[in-house]
Amino acid sequence: MESVNLGEQLRTASPATGLRAVGALHRLAEHVEATHVAQARRDGWSWEQIGDALGVTRQSVHLKYGKQGNNV
Amino acid sequence: MFEKLAQSAKTVVEDARHEAARRGDRRLGTDHLLLALLHEEELAQAVGVDSATAADAANQLDRDALTAIGLDLGAFSPTAHAAASKRVPLTAGAKATLQHTLVNAAAEKARTVTSRHILLALLDRREPDSAAALLTALDVDRAAVRESLAVPL
Repeated sequence: MESVNLGEQLRTASPATGLRAVGALHRLAEHVEATHVAQARRDGWSWEQIGDALGVTRQSVHLKYGKQGNNV
Repeated sequence: MFEKLAQSAKTVVEDARHEAARRGDRRLGTDHLLLALLHEEELAQAVGVDSATAADAANQLDRDALTAIGLDLGAFSPTAHAAASKRVPLTAGAKATLQHTLVNAAAEKARTVTSRHILLALLDRREPDSAAALLTALDVDRAAVRESLAVPL
Protein backbone atom coordinates (compact mmCIF):
# COMPACT_ATOMS: atom_id res chain seq x y z
CA MET A 1 0.00 0.00 0.00
CA GLU A 2 1.04 3.61 -0.43
CA SER A 3 2.50 5.61 2.41
CA VAL A 4 -0.43 8.08 2.50
CA ASN A 5 -2.25 7.27 5.73
CA LEU A 6 -6.01 7.03 6.18
CA GLY A 7 -6.20 10.23 8.24
CA GLU A 8 -4.52 12.16 5.46
CA GLN A 9 -6.84 10.70 2.82
CA LEU A 10 -9.89 11.49 4.96
CA ARG A 11 -8.85 15.14 5.17
CA THR A 12 -8.13 15.54 1.47
CA ALA A 13 -11.26 13.88 0.04
CA SER A 14 -13.90 16.38 -1.20
CA PRO A 15 -17.16 16.51 0.76
CA ALA A 16 -19.02 14.94 -2.19
CA THR A 17 -16.60 12.01 -2.14
CA GLY A 18 -16.35 11.79 1.65
CA LEU A 19 -20.13 11.86 2.18
CA ARG A 20 -20.63 9.36 -0.63
CA ALA A 21 -18.14 7.10 1.17
CA VAL A 22 -20.20 7.35 4.37
CA GLY A 23 -23.31 6.29 2.43
CA ALA A 24 -21.35 3.46 0.85
CA LEU A 25 -20.16 2.27 4.27
CA HIS A 26 -23.72 2.29 5.55
CA ARG A 27 -24.97 0.31 2.54
CA LEU A 28 -22.08 -2.12 2.99
CA ALA A 29 -22.90 -2.56 6.69
CA GLU A 30 -26.55 -3.31 5.87
CA HIS A 31 -25.54 -6.02 3.41
CA VAL A 32 -22.99 -7.59 5.74
CA GLU A 33 -25.51 -7.44 8.60
CA ALA A 34 -28.25 -9.13 6.54
CA THR A 35 -25.85 -11.91 5.52
CA HIS A 36 -24.63 -12.64 9.01
CA VAL A 37 -27.90 -12.25 10.89
CA ALA A 38 -29.33 -14.89 8.54
CA GLN A 39 -26.28 -17.11 9.15
CA ALA A 40 -26.50 -16.63 12.93
CA ARG A 41 -30.17 -17.63 12.89
CA ARG A 42 -29.34 -20.75 10.87
CA ASP A 43 -26.64 -21.53 13.44
CA GLY A 44 -29.21 -21.29 16.23
CA TRP A 45 -28.42 -17.86 17.72
CA SER A 46 -31.33 -16.28 19.60
CA TRP A 47 -32.58 -12.80 18.70
CA GLU A 48 -31.20 -11.66 22.09
CA GLN A 49 -27.73 -12.90 21.25
CA ILE A 50 -27.79 -11.27 17.81
CA GLY A 51 -29.11 -8.01 19.27
CA ASP A 52 -26.35 -7.98 21.89
CA ALA A 53 -23.70 -8.66 19.24
CA LEU A 54 -25.00 -5.75 17.15
CA GLY A 55 -25.52 -3.46 20.14
CA VAL A 56 -29.26 -3.14 19.56
CA THR A 57 -32.33 -4.56 21.29
CA ARG A 58 -33.78 -7.99 20.61
CA GLN A 59 -36.95 -6.24 19.44
CA SER A 60 -35.26 -4.05 16.86
CA VAL A 61 -33.31 -6.90 15.29
CA HIS A 62 -36.39 -9.12 15.25
CA LEU A 63 -38.51 -6.36 13.74
CA LYS A 64 -35.94 -5.94 10.99
CA TYR A 65 -35.20 -9.59 10.21
CA GLY A 66 -38.00 -11.64 11.80
CA LYS A 67 -40.46 -13.63 9.64
CA GLN A 68 -38.67 -12.76 6.44
CA GLY A 69 -38.62 -15.75 4.16
CA ASN A 70 -36.99 -13.72 1.39
CA ASN A 71 -33.99 -12.71 3.46
CA VAL A 72 -30.88 -14.66 2.48
CA MET B 1 -48.87 14.67 -3.33
CA PHE B 2 -49.26 10.98 -4.32
CA GLU B 3 -52.98 11.25 -5.16
CA LYS B 4 -52.15 13.32 -8.20
CA LEU B 5 -49.86 10.70 -9.69
CA ALA B 6 -51.03 8.33 -12.44
CA GLN B 7 -50.50 4.61 -11.88
CA SER B 8 -47.23 4.53 -13.83
CA ALA B 9 -45.82 7.30 -11.62
CA LYS B 10 -47.01 5.56 -8.44
CA THR B 11 -45.34 2.36 -9.61
CA VAL B 12 -42.07 4.26 -10.03
CA VAL B 13 -42.22 5.55 -6.44
CA GLU B 14 -43.01 2.05 -5.12
CA ASP B 15 -40.23 0.58 -7.23
CA ALA B 16 -37.83 3.24 -5.96
CA ARG B 17 -38.78 2.28 -2.40
CA HIS B 18 -37.72 -1.30 -3.15
CA GLU B 19 -34.48 -0.12 -4.76
CA ALA B 20 -33.68 1.90 -1.65
CA ALA B 21 -34.36 -1.01 0.70
CA ARG B 22 -32.47 -3.47 -1.47
CA ARG B 23 -29.41 -1.21 -1.61
CA GLY B 24 -29.45 -0.77 2.17
CA ASP B 25 -30.45 2.89 2.14
CA ARG B 26 -32.63 4.35 4.88
CA ARG B 27 -34.40 6.88 2.69
CA LEU B 28 -35.79 6.99 -0.82
CA GLY B 29 -33.48 9.28 -2.80
CA THR B 30 -33.45 10.69 -6.33
CA ASP B 31 -30.93 8.00 -7.36
CA HIS B 32 -33.51 5.34 -6.45
CA LEU B 33 -36.14 7.18 -8.49
CA LEU B 34 -33.76 7.14 -11.46
CA LEU B 35 -33.04 3.40 -11.09
CA ALA B 36 -36.78 2.72 -10.90
CA LEU B 37 -37.54 4.86 -13.98
CA LEU B 38 -34.93 2.99 -15.99
CA HIS B 39 -36.90 -0.23 -15.47
CA GLU B 40 -39.32 1.17 -18.06
CA GLU B 41 -38.07 0.30 -21.50
CA GLU B 42 -39.10 3.51 -23.29
CA LEU B 43 -37.47 5.66 -20.63
CA ALA B 44 -34.31 3.53 -20.58
CA GLN B 45 -34.15 4.00 -24.35
CA ALA B 46 -34.56 7.77 -24.05
CA VAL B 47 -31.75 7.93 -21.47
CA GLY B 48 -29.64 5.37 -23.33
CA VAL B 49 -28.93 3.39 -20.15
CA ASP B 50 -30.73 0.45 -18.57
CA SER B 51 -31.35 -0.02 -14.86
CA ALA B 52 -28.70 -2.71 -14.38
CA THR B 53 -26.02 -0.52 -15.98
CA ALA B 54 -27.05 2.41 -13.77
CA ALA B 55 -26.96 0.22 -10.65
CA ASP B 56 -23.44 -0.91 -11.58
CA ALA B 57 -22.41 2.73 -12.02
CA ALA B 58 -23.84 3.57 -8.59
CA ASN B 59 -21.85 0.70 -7.07
CA GLN B 60 -18.73 1.94 -8.84
CA LEU B 61 -19.28 5.45 -7.40
CA ASP B 62 -19.43 3.82 -3.96
CA ARG B 63 -16.19 1.90 -4.53
CA ASP B 64 -14.44 4.98 -5.91
CA ALA B 65 -15.51 7.05 -2.90
CA LEU B 66 -14.26 4.36 -0.51
CA THR B 67 -10.96 4.13 -2.39
CA ALA B 68 -10.61 7.92 -2.17
CA ILE B 69 -10.75 7.75 1.63
CA GLY B 70 -8.26 4.90 1.65
CA LEU B 71 -10.55 1.86 1.83
CA ASP B 72 -10.01 -0.71 -0.89
CA LEU B 73 -12.74 -3.35 -0.94
CA GLY B 74 -10.71 -5.60 -3.19
CA ALA B 75 -12.77 -8.52 -4.45
CA PHE B 76 -15.43 -8.09 -1.75
CA SER B 77 -18.91 -7.99 -3.17
CA PRO B 78 -22.00 -8.32 -0.98
CA THR B 79 -24.05 -11.43 -1.61
CA ALA B 80 -27.22 -10.76 0.38
CA HIS B 81 -29.79 -8.04 -0.12
CA ALA B 82 -30.25 -5.67 2.77
CA ALA B 83 -33.29 -6.28 4.98
CA ALA B 84 -36.47 -4.83 3.52
CA SER B 85 -37.41 -1.85 5.62
CA LYS B 86 -41.07 -1.18 6.23
CA ARG B 87 -40.72 2.57 6.26
CA VAL B 88 -38.50 4.28 3.71
CA PRO B 89 -39.21 8.02 3.87
CA LEU B 90 -38.30 10.31 0.97
CA THR B 91 -35.19 12.47 1.05
CA ALA B 92 -35.68 16.23 0.72
CA GLY B 93 -34.33 15.95 -2.83
CA ALA B 94 -36.83 13.23 -3.77
CA LYS B 95 -39.70 15.28 -2.33
CA ALA B 96 -38.57 18.36 -4.27
CA THR B 97 -38.33 16.25 -7.44
CA LEU B 98 -41.89 14.96 -7.09
CA GLN B 99 -43.14 18.49 -6.41
CA HIS B 100 -41.25 19.70 -9.47
CA THR B 101 -42.85 16.81 -11.39
CA LEU B 102 -46.34 18.08 -10.55
CA VAL B 103 -45.43 21.65 -11.52
CA ASN B 104 -44.02 20.47 -14.87
CA ALA B 105 -47.04 18.33 -15.62
CA ALA B 106 -49.38 21.24 -14.80
CA ALA B 107 -47.38 23.57 -17.06
CA GLU B 108 -47.72 20.99 -19.83
CA LYS B 109 -51.46 20.90 -19.12
CA ALA B 110 -51.09 17.13 -18.87
CA ARG B 111 -54.19 15.34 -17.64
CA THR B 112 -52.17 12.71 -15.84
CA VAL B 113 -48.75 12.81 -14.16
CA THR B 114 -46.67 9.98 -15.54
CA SER B 115 -43.21 8.48 -15.06
CA ARG B 116 -42.03 10.57 -18.03
CA HIS B 117 -42.74 13.73 -16.00
CA ILE B 118 -40.68 12.36 -13.09
CA LEU B 119 -37.73 11.71 -15.42
CA LEU B 120 -37.97 15.25 -16.80
CA ALA B 121 -37.88 16.62 -13.25
CA LEU B 122 -34.87 14.41 -12.40
CA LEU B 123 -32.94 15.78 -15.38
CA ASP B 124 -33.10 19.23 -13.74
CA ARG B 125 -31.36 18.06 -10.55
CA ARG B 126 -27.92 19.50 -9.97
CA GLU B 127 -24.97 17.90 -8.22
CA PRO B 128 -24.32 17.01 -5.45
CA ASP B 129 -27.79 15.46 -5.88
CA SER B 130 -27.38 11.67 -6.06
CA ALA B 131 -29.34 11.22 -9.32
CA ALA B 132 -27.39 14.08 -10.93
CA ALA B 133 -24.12 12.45 -9.84
CA LEU B 134 -25.27 9.16 -11.35
CA LEU B 135 -26.31 10.79 -14.65
CA THR B 136 -22.90 12.47 -14.84
CA ALA B 137 -21.09 9.20 -14.09
CA LEU B 138 -23.12 7.58 -16.88
CA ASP B 139 -22.20 10.43 -19.24
CA VAL B 140 -25.85 11.10 -20.04
CA ASP B 141 -26.54 14.03 -22.38
CA ARG B 142 -29.40 15.68 -20.49
CA ALA B 143 -30.38 18.01 -23.37
CA ALA B 144 -30.65 15.08 -25.78
CA VAL B 145 -32.79 13.10 -23.32
CA ARG B 146 -35.04 16.12 -22.74
CA GLU B 147 -35.47 16.44 -26.49
CA SER B 148 -36.43 12.82 -26.97
CA LEU B 149 -38.96 13.17 -24.13
CA ALA B 150 -40.45 16.40 -25.50
CA VAL B 151 -43.18 14.58 -27.41
CA PRO B 152 -45.24 12.57 -24.94
CA LEU B 153 -44.56 8.88 -25.36
